[in-house]
Amino acid sequence: MESIKSKKITAVWIITILTLFVVSIVLGILMRLNQGGVIEQTPVAFYVNMTTHGLTMIGIWFVAGMMAVNFLLQRYVKTSHTVNILALVFTVVGVLMLWTSTFIGKFHAGWTFLYPLPFKIMWAKWATPVFYLALVVLVVGWLIWCLSLIAQILKKYSISQTFAWQHFKKNPKVETPPFILISMITLVGITTCLIAAVVLVALTAAEYFSKGAFVNDALLMKNLTYFFGHTIANEMLYLGLAVIYELFSEISGRPKWKTTWYVAIAWNFTLVFILTAFFHHLYMDFVQPEGLQIVGQLASYFASLPAAGVTVFSIFIAVYRTKINWSLPNLLFFIGTAGWVIGGLGAVIDATISNNVVLHNTLWVPAHFHTYNAMGNVLFSLGFFYWFATLDTEKIYSGKGTKLILSLLLIGGIGFLLAFYIAGADSIPRRYSNYPPELAAGIPLATMGAAFATIYLIGILIFFFNISKGCLKILSSPSS
Amino acid sequence: MFKNTFLTILIAGGCFLASGQEAPLSTGEEGNIYQKIYNAPLVTSTKQATSFEKLRKEKPLLLGLIFTRCSGVCNPFLLQLKENLQFAANNNSVNVVVLSFDPRDSITDMNSLAQRLDLENDLQWTFAVTDSILPLIQSVGFSPVWDSAKQQYDHDAFLVGINKDGYITKKLIGVRSANDLSLLISSVNNIFSPTYRLPGTNALFSCFNYDPTTGKNTPGLGLLFIALPAVVTVLLLILLSYFNAPKVG
Repeated sequence: MESIKSKKITAVWIITILTLFVVSIVLGILMRLNQGGVIEQTPVAFYVNMTTHGLTMIGIWFVAGMMAVNFLLQRYVKTSHTVNILALVFTVVGVLMLWTSTFIGKFHAGWTFLYPLPFKIMWAKWATPVFYLALVVLVVGWLIWCLSLIAQILKKYSISQTFAWQHFKKNPKVETPPFILISMITLVGITTCLIAAVVLVALTAAEYFSKGAFVNDALLMKNLTYFFGHTIANEMLYLGLAVIYELFSEISGRPKWKTTWYVAIAWNFTLVFILTAFFHHLYMDFVQPEGLQIVGQLASYFASLPAAGVTVFSIFIAVYRTKINWSLPNLLFFIGTAGWVIGGLGAVIDATISNNVVLHNTLWVPAHFHTYNAMGNVLFSLGFFYWFATLDTEKIYSGKGTKLILSLLLIGGIGFLLAFYIAGADSIPRRYSNYPPELAAGIPLATMGAAFATIYLIGILIFFFNISKGCLKILSSPSS
Repeated sequence: MFKNTFLTILIAGGCFLASGQEAPLSTGEEGNIYQKIYNAPLVTSTKQATSFEKLRKEKPLLLGLIFTRCSGVCNPFLLQLKENLQFAANNNSVNVVVLSFDPRDSITDMNSLAQRLDLENDLQWTFAVTDSILPLIQSVGFSPVWDSAKQQYDHDAFLVGINKDGYITKKLIGVRSANDLSLLISSVNNIFSPTYRLPGTNALFSCFNYDPTTGKNTPGLGLLFIALPAVVTVLLLILLSYFNAPKVG
């Protein structure tokens, strides 16, 4: 079971993540206010904020999923406290280095840092190597964490058991808990994309230090960038799903979910599809062979089907005509699943080649990924945070508090996302710091987005304030 | 003579001043792309007053900048352009404006040039002069330099593509092939043209190797790097499984 040491580090993780989340939301609001003409930022300031916002958000919600899985995994296997602390240190150092490269060095190549942009120095010369060093620190820390968790799982379960292959047959002798299956599938996917990041950084460093003797292939670098970037942004959702599989039924007062043959098959397929879906980021790259573009479209379709279908089905069955103990965590899980599905549909629409011709690089793209993050994965993690903060104490919220937080998150989140979707459907491009007269329709929508994002931020601040009591209580409790 | 010297100084001074401004004037093909061309008033061979705005609204434009007293590149440039245009794809989708950047040139001089090239009755071609040459050449990034010893301008063969909205979409410097001209015509018609960096000896890990003789791509070493993360992960899993195997019994 979870030790007090483990609870303390988890509390530190939660406070760190929510602090960084608040700062990143503020950066996002500043960007939308600038696009709306309410404030005036220089283009450099805008793109610095965009780079910092994107990478910090990806980073914090990835580690939010990881630390939740790490915490819950202790119900099944022993995990390393040292590695958990190491991951925390590497994450904090990595984020500080990243912010140094952006806020001080003015590095602003976007969170995708697409080759060869980082080599086109429009910022302090040292900012490019510091940015890549930050990536190295983050990737190495997370890779060690992943491999450590995988190793611990493999101490108790064989490879075939972790992937639940015995469930393909009738009456398996050993049952693989859904949490172990999903965690393993996701950790393997994360390991793969982190290794892609290592290859990417190694090739970048080779070019950087070769002084022209070696140059990279832009197509290879783009493939590797999205192999890492797209995959990690998606895998972090699956970490959240692992938490839901473990906690939703428990919090709702329902029997624990079990691994069935279709759950096992669905998640095994998910591993393959999620690792090949990134090809849909290269539809506009004419040199990419058509076969890979088709793989990208099909994998995008199929990646969403098994996990989403099975999860939505499981949750629907769990709540349909059933007495549920609704509380903030399972409501967040439930609403988060809806947000994840809606964002996923937006993603599938965009991943369809014929639609992508129209929607590519419009605000539709941030619309869908903000949907399954801000109204999906973030809510999964918030549900875990609340459940964790109230583990050893009576519930902090009254019914009114729960309603207020949910209302603010829902109204703020939906309004903020609508502004993106409407603008995307109107072909307003993404990544514009200001809109020229031809794109004037984007201006009021950006202001609207900022206003609703502020409502969402207020909801987060109230949530943070409330659960920080629980986290601080855990931190101040005696160690033994 | 005085007028010529004065305007030459004005052009050179303008170029110099522009180089110190926030948006530097580039003489390369990359400069001034997606900027609007200055809407200069034009006097055409029919002696009718018009402007760039009126002309480009009819059809996208190819603008050639020349001067009639040129003893260098202007004539071969125009002759080659005339010939290439016949073979370029979608050649009827554009009009050509030949504009003098030399203040000494009159519309009569331009008409003579059109006759010499046998283009005086070709509706696709317009020969023109303007009294606003300085802002115009600044807007396209063209920088002729007056050589007083030779009494000639030192300048590039310079062809600018302008789409129907007045934006410079592509420029060609030098006497170029029909293929390059086709790319320019596609550009002003907002048609996508695939381009890519040619492989060099310093690019070791290309995903595909292009063979210019066959025009075909073959898989390259770079593809292995895309597969590498999955291969390494499988190996790591096997290793971790081997060293952490569950204890039986």
